[in-house]
Amino acid sequence: MQRRYDAIVVGSGMTGGWAAKELTERGLNTLLLEAGRSMDPAADYLEHEPVYEFKFRGLGDRRHEAARQFIQSKAGPFEEQTAHFFVDDVDNPYTFPEDKPFYWIRGRHLGGRSVMWGRQSYRLGDLDFEANAREEIGVDWPIRYRDISPWYDHVEDFIGVSGEALGLPQLPDSRFLPPMALNCAEEVVKEAMARHFGGERVLTIGRAAILTADHRGRAACHYCGPCWRGCATHSYFNSLHVTLPAARATGRLTIRPHSVVHSVVYDEQRDRATGVRVIDANTREDLEFSAQVIFLCASALESTRILLNSKTPRFSNGLANSSGELGRNVMDHTMGGGARGTIPGNEDRDVFGRRPNGIYVPRFRNLTQPYPDFVRGYGFQGGGSRAGWTRGPSERGFGAEFKHRLRQPGPWRFTFYGFGECLPRPTNYIELDPEKVDAWGIPALRIHCEWGDNERRMMRDMADTGAEMLEAAGARDIETFVENNPPGLSIHEMGTARMGRDPRTSVLNAYNQCHDVKNLFVTDGACMTSSACQNPSLTYMALTARACAYAVEQIRQQQL
Amino acid sequence: MNRREILRLVGSALAIPALWTLDPDQLLALGRSIHRRATRLRILNPQQSRTVTTIAEHIIPATDTPGATAARVHEFIDLILAEWYTDEERERFLRGLADLDARGFVEAAPSQQIATLSGLDAELQALRDAGANERAEQHFFHRIKYLTLWGYYTSEVGVEQELRYVMIPGRYDPCAATGLGNRGGD
Repeated sequence: MQRRYDAIVVGSGMTGGWAAKELTERGLNTLLLEAGRSMDPAADYLEHEPVYEFKFRGLGDRRHEAARQFIQSKAGPFEEQTAHFFVDDVDNPYTFPEDKPFYWIRGRHLGGRSVMWGRQSYRLGDLDFEANAREEIGVDWPIRYRDISPWYDHVEDFIGVSGEALGLPQLPDSRFLPPMALNCAEEVVKEAMARHFGGERVLTIGRAAILTADHRGRAACHYCGPCWRGCATHSYFNSLHVTLPAARATGRLTIRPHSVVHSVVYDEQRDRATGVRVIDANTREDLEFSAQVIFLCASALESTRILLNSKTPRFSNGLANSSGELGRNVMDHTMGGGARGTIPGNEDRDVFGRRPNGIYVPRFRNLTQPYPDFVRGYGFQGGGSRAGWTRGPSERGFGAEFKHRLRQPGPWRFTFYGFGECLPRPTNYIELDPEKVDAWGIPALRIHCEWGDNERRMMRDMADTGAEMLEAAGARDIETFVENNPPGLSIHEMGTARMGRDPRTSVLNAYNQCHDVKNLFVTDGACMTSSACQNPSLTYMALTARACAYAVEQIRQQQL
Repeated sequence: MNRREILRLVGSALAIPALWTLDPDQLLALGRSIHRRATRLRILNPQQSRTVTTIAEHIIPATDTPGATAARVHEFIDLILAEWYTDEERERFLRGLADLDARGFVEAAPSQQIATLSGLDAELQALRDAGANERAEQHFFHRIKYLTLWGYYTSEVGVEQELRYVMIPGRYDPCAATGLGNRGGD
């Protein structure tokens, strides 16, 4: 196999797929390294497989999970139908202090976590890009909305994002395909919120990377429901069936699965990254591939782990780490404060079809007036639905009348479920574990991360404001909740190689280029200077495309 | 219902500290009965299988659609007992069956069987009303009703005939008349 390429991309998920597409389309012969197996949508996508075809009928293989997927099985999209999309926790260990649990959810296969992601797609705005500077928290983002805005356009035009334009300054509109519809209960809540809160709190349909109209050769959604199991019609975006085929079509892409990247190879004399060291996951063979430019897109913590493991005499604490910030400032969205209740009315109505999307309430705290309890803010996801037969075990009775009663849907229930911004703190950090190694002998991560007071106060506020909105909608049986989810479980971990203006306080510059090593780029969630409260994948994709365009331009100008 | 709720309902025994209290003779009998299992079933012996099948059919009887027996719910329950339940959960479940067998449940007239199950349902409801949630989740009738419903509605009979599950709706109607989609929700 060829050992020298123009570019190497490490990781084939959300950002690796974009890097492969952009670099190959701009003329670079690119090697894409994936640590896990290849995937065959025809065999691996199980969204249309009836539940009775699964051994445990959707309850999952509990003993296998306890033995081999004890972390992964905590993830929202993990189920019997998707267990094969998540790593084996024994082969892929990491550690954390006993009092600071962190759930690190991973997929090692072609397409990565883009295969089972949540598909929610929101732009960040200047409220987010200016926040650190305004509040003197962490470091300033080296970019503003005008820098990334055309790249959001570029990504959205390609992947397709459905949603409703609102013109809100705190949540810039995307280039939308038609929005999915709100159901009857959601309309009731939306109207009540408009009456009670004016424009302050707004309910809209989720902005989702799911097609509501045919788009670039991909069919509109057919509303079967479980996108996270795959999609035969390619109607939601993932790397496997959207960006990687585009990269392949250039004839310049080489994909090598089962390629576990051990480290980046750095040449001190030339002050360049020359390639990557790879362990073949099957043969354990030690390989080296070289390239002119290297993109780390392995996910925030994996890319950081590779850099930490790439020690050289000059970079004794990890490659490109002259700032000492590599591995610091771990963030994840704080998730699961909110409220639920029953929405009266519409008893003779129900939905037809399973809409793989919910509602969104854009951030309303700390927009123009400071809110005293915390800085930044949160958005709500959730929505309305009527329970089906699964309510049966908790209802009294049995027999023919009971069976026929379960044919009728239960009451309309509505949930507001908050996702809040997490502040960057140097005390939340990752390092190489001094003892533990993974199945390929590579040092495992030790993760030190916990929520701070700002996140905790925000979670309580989610419960209060969620209940206020349900009360406004006339809901009954309102319950509030503040879940105790450890960081990591939102699967938005980020921040461990942050972008910044100053090489002394940040790892990456405004183009996701390492301050210290010019031909090395990190474009996954590791780059995030602050977390905002929006689901981050759209931003990662836009930053990746932007960094690729910059890198190719630099190569043309012989600057790399 | 999401996965976590399922685990809370079915998997609560993860949090139960003590092995439960069978006397040695009962344990021995239990062990023998497990080893005398039918070739097809791995945990339930013929007597236990009859009891499970009888209860499941009372919970979800054949009406205008087939019931739990036709959906082979007892085989699903046997699988859960063999490969999913913890030892403690399995033993507690079998103890619940043994209690009914000791009362001649299978031999009794159907009306008497229904009366017995109604009594168990009332016990379960009393625990819930008293807020004794953990004991309610461990209650035999909750367990067998849960497994019967899960086994039935996820069987081919349940999915295709009872729910009339629409695998590919092809469109989304946000406010349709009830009864248009699959019966019994998603």
